[in-house]
Amino acid sequence: MRIYVFSPGLRIWHWVNFLTILVLFGTGLYIGNPFFSGPPGIEATHAYGEGLTMGFIRKIHFLAGYILLASFIFRVIIGIFSKRDRMVLPRFWTRDYWSSLKEITLKYLLLKKDSDGREYIRNACARTAYPLIYLAILFMIVTGFGMYGLSNPGGFWSSLLGWVVWALGGEFQTHMWHRWVAWLIIVAAILHVYFVIREEIIRRNGEISSMINGYKYFEKEPADIGDLK
Amino acid sequence: METFWEAFKRHGVSRRDFIKFATTLTGFMGLAPSMVPTVIRAMETKPRVPVIWIHGLECTCCSESFIRSATPLVSDVVLSMISLEYDDTLSAAAGDAVEEHRRRIIKEYWGNYILAVEGNPPLGEEGMFCVVNGKPFLEHLKESAEGAKAVIAWGSCASWGCVQAARPNPTTAVSIDKVIKDKPVVKVPGCPPIAEVMTGVIMYMVLFGKIPPLDSQGRPKMFYGNRIHDTCYRRAFFNAGQFVERFDDEGAKKGWCLYKVGCRGPTTYNQCGSMRWYNGLSYPIQAGHGCIGCSEKDFWDNGPFYERLTHIPVPRQEADADKVGAVAAAAAVGGAVVHGILSKIRNSKKREEV
Repeated sequence: MRIYVFSPGLRIWHWVNFLTILVLFGTGLYIGNPFFSGPPGIEATHAYGEGLTMGFIRKIHFLAGYILLASFIFRVIIGIFSKRDRMVLPRFWTRDYWSSLKEITLKYLLLKKDSDGREYIRNACARTAYPLIYLAILFMIVTGFGMYGLSNPGGFWSSLLGWVVWALGGEFQTHMWHRWVAWLIIVAAILHVYFVIREEIIRRNGEISSMINGYKYFEKEPADIGDLK
Repeated sequence: METFWEAFKRHGVSRRDFIKFATTLTGFMGLAPSMVPTVIRAMETKPRVPVIWIHGLECTCCSESFIRSATPLVSDVVLSMISLEYDDTLSAAAGDAVEEHRRRIIKEYWGNYILAVEGNPPLGEEGMFCVVNGKPFLEHLKESAEGAKAVIAWGSCASWGCVQAARPNPTTAVSIDKVIKDKPVVKVPGCPPIAEVMTGVIMYMVLFGKIPPLDSQGRPKMFYGNRIHDTCYRRAFFNAGQFVERFDDEGAKKGWCLYKVGCRGPTTYNQCGSMRWYNGLSYPIQAGHGCIGCSEKDFWDNGPFYERLTHIPVPRQEADADKVGAVAAAAAVGGAVVHGILSKIRNSKKREEV
């Protein structure tokens, strides 16, 4: 049974998000702890635009930050207008959510076989983890632009998000939070990739290719098919 | 009370020097050149303002900084521009005599004097960790603040809590705005604040009869609007990726950026980069040592001062965000591989047949 799961907008967003997070994490690691020096033997004033300097890496970081922000807004908009793109939201109020969560936990603890029980397009574990990852990305956007804006106090970003920096206990603490949550997102990304590969190998349902062509394959009708229609 | 211009005339200052002084002052207060006539007018008409300066739990470094103010000379400020009526550190009188004078000034200038607070009140043990004139400083502070027009919080102690409020804060020292809630409080943080910033703030309040424009944290915008990093003369080395790695290396000799040896310039708001210290002589970064962020809230708790990232408390290890993160990421990869293999075995067809 072939089911169309991911809209084109969502697929494009996913890969844009993948690239920007990769770039943001790499450049961010350098900005917080510059582990190699800029071009040697050049007078600093002129080194600004030459090669992999801190100035250049920061520029890339900010550029990628703007793209992440734009793609996040895009993601929210398609989520509002299309039912298909709202599938990440958990339904705490339904009994089905809790029984599905129990079932998937037992499967991940290897106490149950993956082929047992009901099938889901998106199981309760994923529906719990994804919103948290979205929140972490939102946290990074908010703290990031908060710190970015404070180089121009009274400007657009500092009046919009400057309060976040103070709410987290000052700018130094915000830098630390920004870094801790960055690592958290990377750990989450590793687990995300693992579970995608695991799903693909065990169930052979086209999990990996689904983020390219939009389709997944199921043996029986998934329990949450109603979320697509 | 006499006006500034009258006080200047009494001291034999010429009109020319008076106008020069007013112009310098305008610049130091961060005002546009077009404001010079306003400042001169204010100095000709505004009477001097009585100031009560009290000391709580502190080290007096703010006073030490203040008396080194060069523009305007602190002697000018103390002797002719404000009327410093009470300061238990600087006054010649002591004991009951000076306390009696303080009470008289409070009564006489009720609602018109400025209260300058250096240091902060410890709340623990009913305030007995800091005693002034036989009473807890907490009472001294409340009594002095009651009739004040505005309150200046000198230094990081009065503004945030500073070293005595660092974890675990045994005396429960708090910033003064936790105690004084019904008066405008101007925070002038720094350990100590720059002398010219202190005189600039006090001059603004005296000349314009109101508190300077404050940011969301209660600090005067004109002095705490920029990061040290954004005004630092070593900023070019930061952008170029040229960093001091150790205090005895080639980069340190060449005066490169101190970011990697823990400089807090990127997260600290102060005037050190532009105004500098001792009449523009120098400031910590110029002297080759990173900024420790002394004008920031809880800077003592944001250590170690010589590293960029704070330590995360891991038993028997020194670890920062990157170390913990890398270990967590490696653990996630390892866990995934193991779990993957086990999942494959658990779900394999062979077992299904059994």
